Amino acid sequence: MARTLAMFTDTSLCIGCRACQVACKQWNELGLELPEWTGTYQNHTHFTDKTFRLVRFIEEPKPSGDLAWLLMSDVCKHCADAGCLNACPTGAIYRTQFGTVNINQDVCNGCRYCVSACPFGVVSFNENTGTAKKCTFCNDRIHNGLGPACAKACPTESIQFGFRDELVGRAQKRVETLKAMGFKDAQLYGADSSGFLGGLNAFFLLLSKPSTYGLPENPKLPQKNIFVDSLLSIGSALLVGIGALVAFRQRGTGGEA
Amino acid sequence: MGGLLQSAHWPFLIDVYFFLGGLAGGAFVIATAALIVDSVRYRDVSRVGYYLALVALVPCPVILIVDLGVPVRFMNMVMTFNPRSPMSMGAWALLGFSAAAFLAALLTLLEDLGKARNLSRPKTVIGVVGGFLGFFLAAYPGVLLGATARPLWINAHTLGALFLAVGASSGAAAMALVLAALSRRSGDGIARLATTTVLAVVIQLVAMIGFVWSVRASGSAPALNALALITSGPYSMLFWGGAIVAGSVLPILLGLVGLMRPSVGLTAVTSVLVLVGGFLVKTLIMAAGQV
Ligand code: SF4
Ligand code: SF4
Repeated sequence: MARTLAMFTDTSLCIGCRACQVACKQWNELGLELPEWTGTYQNHTHFTDKTFRLVRFIEEPKPSGDLAWLLMSDVCKHCADAGCLNACPTGAIYRTQFGTVNINQDVCNGCRYCVSACPFGVVSFNENTGTAKKCTFCNDRIHNGLGPACAKACPTESIQFGFRDELVGRAQKRVETLKAMGFKDAQLYGADSSGFLGGLNAFFLLLSKPSTYGLPENPKLPQKNIFVDSLLSIGSALLVGIGALVAFRQRGTGGEA
Repeated sequence: MGGLLQSAHWPFLIDVYFFLGGLAGGAFVIATAALIVDSVRYRDVSRVGYYLALVALVPCPVILIVDLGVPVRFMNMVMTFNPRSPMSMGAWALLGFSAAAFLAALLTLLEDLGKARNLSRPKTVIGVVGGFLGFFLAAYPGVLLGATARPLWINAHTLGALFLAVGASSGAAAMALVLAALSRRSGDGIARLATTTVLAVVIQLVAMIGFVWSVRASGSAPALNALALITSGPYSMLFWGGAIVAGSVLPILLGLVGLMRPSVGLTAVTSVLVLVGGFLVKTLIMAAGQV
């Protein structure tokens, strides 16, 4: 496997220009969607089958009474332990040699299990193609030595693309700098490959706690449940099986056959 | 309910599939239990169970295929074998169980047509192997839901156990109902099925309590909100009145009455209640989990 590629989104540099969102749409030829009223400048509320990069606009009340304006350009995290990839029953979802997670559009049969299995609400169903869609990390571009369209378009270098190990080092330094500047809640999200989901290949620097951005504080790989849930199912099966055998074996109820 | 999470929004038809698949698996297992205990005495029970399992299975693949975004690619489900995906395992179980249910029904038919005298030996082999697959088919949808990021489901741990018990109770109830319609008098088989139904409903009730308890214990706000849809929100009438009182508690009480004074009418009524209750359990969990 090649060295893992990653995207580091430093939300402290984001100015909410949405160049990434537009670049993604254009490069990936994602169709038109009408805007909707979301209460902020954000459009749309969720990832969709036509929006793979989504700039979130969040207003957080500060102790002083003012509002802090938090911006976050969100994207598929290309999780090292990916709920979508595990869930897929057709093998349509696969990991590339760069560590990214893709959906093979020629294999996906539109069961939509991945849509419910992503801990971040990333995968979306496309009614026209009948398949599941999400960010590909610009698979065509990265295989040709170009960075993802979003990272290329970002005017503030809020989105950085490169080798994961290098980016993590850079991100850690940036957190220190921000803390020294007084952003006491500055923190990395998903950078730690021994942390949740084995680390995210698209990780973030946040200025507040993850839940402020709507992110789960400690996302869990859904498939972790399979073991316990199956054991309990086996227990239930044993009880039912024994119960049925006992019900038929016992003497004396009912009339004779 | 799920914040930024998305949902597959599986339609009502999938609830129907989960119910029919569970009923088929349950009926098959119970037919096998009857066959093992006494193949002569419970001949009618196992016959009805094996036929019923096959009949309930027929719509299942159709439902699954029409629900796909690209139905012509349904075979892609069985082009891979992914043990980390309950849906992949379920597709294989459905395939294997269908084969077993077909064979069991075929052997039963051969006996009924007088083409063969006593096939209980091959039937037992198919019944035991198919019984494991039938249990799997009944339980896997619950495990499948638990392996999503949907807050109500990921925080519950007894969904597989619950779905399996619903499969068993509805399978037994459907068998009793068919037998009652055919014979109209209380035979030994019907009484045993009534007992099996009550036992399965008790397990179902325990698993349901486990479900509510584990979601509560998680303390996750979106999970609690989704649970509230069932316990106090728009679905609460159907849940408490339908799934719990009419579909579980009442059948247990009626079953206890039936133990003392067996009656076909009573068993038939109980069976209908259990079938409706089991269907509601699955449907409400699907609905509340996907909002
Ligand atoms: S963020 Fe969601 S869609 Fe992206 S890799 Fe992780 S689980 Fe899959
Ligand atoms: S919708 Fe497609 S990509 Fe998603 S799990 Fe189903 S087959 Fe796999």
